[in-house]
Amino acid sequence: MSNYFYVSPEQLIKDRAEFAQKGIARGRSIVASLYDRGVVMVAENPSASLNKVSEIYDRIAFAGAGKYNEYDRLREAGVRWADSMGFTYAREDVDARALANYYAQHLGDMFTEGQKPLEVEVLVAQLGSDLRPTKLFRILYEGTIADEPRFSVIGGDAEVIRERFAQAVPEVVDLATTLRQAVAALAGPDRTIPISDLEVGILEDRGERRTFTRLAPDRIAELLGEG
Amino acid sequence: MGLPLFRPTQDPGPSFLGLTEALGVAPEWGPTASDVPHATTVIAVRYAQGVVMAGDRQATGAYIASRDVKKIGAADRFTALAISGSAARGVELLKFAQLSFEHYEKMTDTALSLEGKANYLSPIIQRNNLSSPLPVLPLLAGYDPTQRAGRIFEYDGAGGCYERYDFATIGSGSPFAEGALRLGFQSDLDLEAALELAALALYEAGDNDPSTGGPDFVRGIFPMMVVLDAAGFRELAGDDVGERFRRINERRAESRGVAGGALR
Repeated sequence: MSNYFYVSPEQLIKDRAEFAQKGIARGRSIVASLYDRGVVMVAENPSASLNKVSEIYDRIAFAGAGKYNEYDRLREAGVRWADSMGFTYAREDVDARALANYYAQHLGDMFTEGQKPLEVEVLVAQLGSDLRPTKLFRILYEGTIADEPRFSVIGGDAEVIRERFAQAVPEVVDLATTLRQAVAALAGPDRTIPISDLEVGILEDRGERRTFTRLAPDRIAELLGEG
Repeated sequence: MGLPLFRPTQDPGPSFLGLTEALGVAPEWGPTASDVPHATTVIAVRYAQGVVMAGDRQATGAYIASRDVKKIGAADRFTALAISGSAARGVELLKFAQLSFEHYEKMTDTALSLEGKANYLSPIIQRNNLSSPLPVLPLLAGYDPTQRAGRIFEYDGAGGCYERYDFATIGSGSPFAEGALRLGFQSDLDLEAALELAALALYEAGDNDPSTGGPDFVRGIFPMMVVLDAAGFRELAGDDVGERFRRINERRAESRGVAGGALR
């Protein structure tokens, strides 16, 4: 007969939270912010093909920090969910808030019931339209969902980076300034991030249905130069 | 609809068709009632820098069901899909193709090749046409950025996909359009000549096939004309198309409707 040791629920939650936080802290952080014409997501990502920032739908973008295989699976589920919703109903019925809620439920379930909690934090951004406001939803590893008004940071050093960015950018400004400050906040005072290690995605209206663009390195350099 | 998460062994991958089947929202491809609007003429012609397409606007049931249907749609930036056969199935196929190509692109972060898009539609057409009295026959044309050329793919009733290197037609007016195209086609046509030829071929089809709508000068409804080149998909303005058909119409009025002798 095997022995069962008693573990208090408090201890269990604490252990799981520590485990998830450690995993997330190993990855690089991401800053997402509103700017005067849309939403920008800035990630430090040495890989050019394993993306942290992606398109979900016409006006919805996704960013994930932590373990790549875990947040990429959430990204795939998000694309599938959005395309199936738009196919079944109409494109305008696809709402980022509903997707953020599903992510929160799934992360919450995995935290309490899964073999191990997911070591990820995700961001869902929605570019506003006549129907819906511009929104940033931040979802943490245990399913906490926050609706952030102007900018949001996920990943290991989120608190420090948040402080730096909040001080540098106290209000919504243009893309170049927002990008430059986001990169500075990610880097901190003691280092600079090379342009090849930056991944930047924006949601901006260009008169087309799809609004997501991943900025090419040339464009990033140009924006950092003028910011 | 909940969050669609799959185990790696059951994952539908970037295929939107696979996803709809896994989720149980796939369209029903099986047999249904007939007697639905159909009949069409759509033409695709290759030219030096890409492809031009022209399609009539009429949906025909027992009577004329609609006079302003758009039978050519942008499947993505460089690809157009035209439909003939059952209107319901055709519109569904167009929507499905658009979603599938975009879904693939978002899932994998790479665009599907033009040939990949053409092949993807084969089993869908096959499944529909072999099990249903509502056949659908599409025509896929696009600009292939890797080959830097326009390409045309046509299908047979069983879903077979064939690349055409000159021109292709679909719909009930095809024999007449094909006749004009065979006489007028040359390799390396310039854009203006290709548009002129496509318009003339469509005029012929509208003139001879009762189920193909010709230019409608009374209502100001003209066939749809599309250009696909390195800049992507663009539809010609209604006035531009109207002017082309007005010129053809005037030539025909001068010859009292006789088309023979030369391409006019």
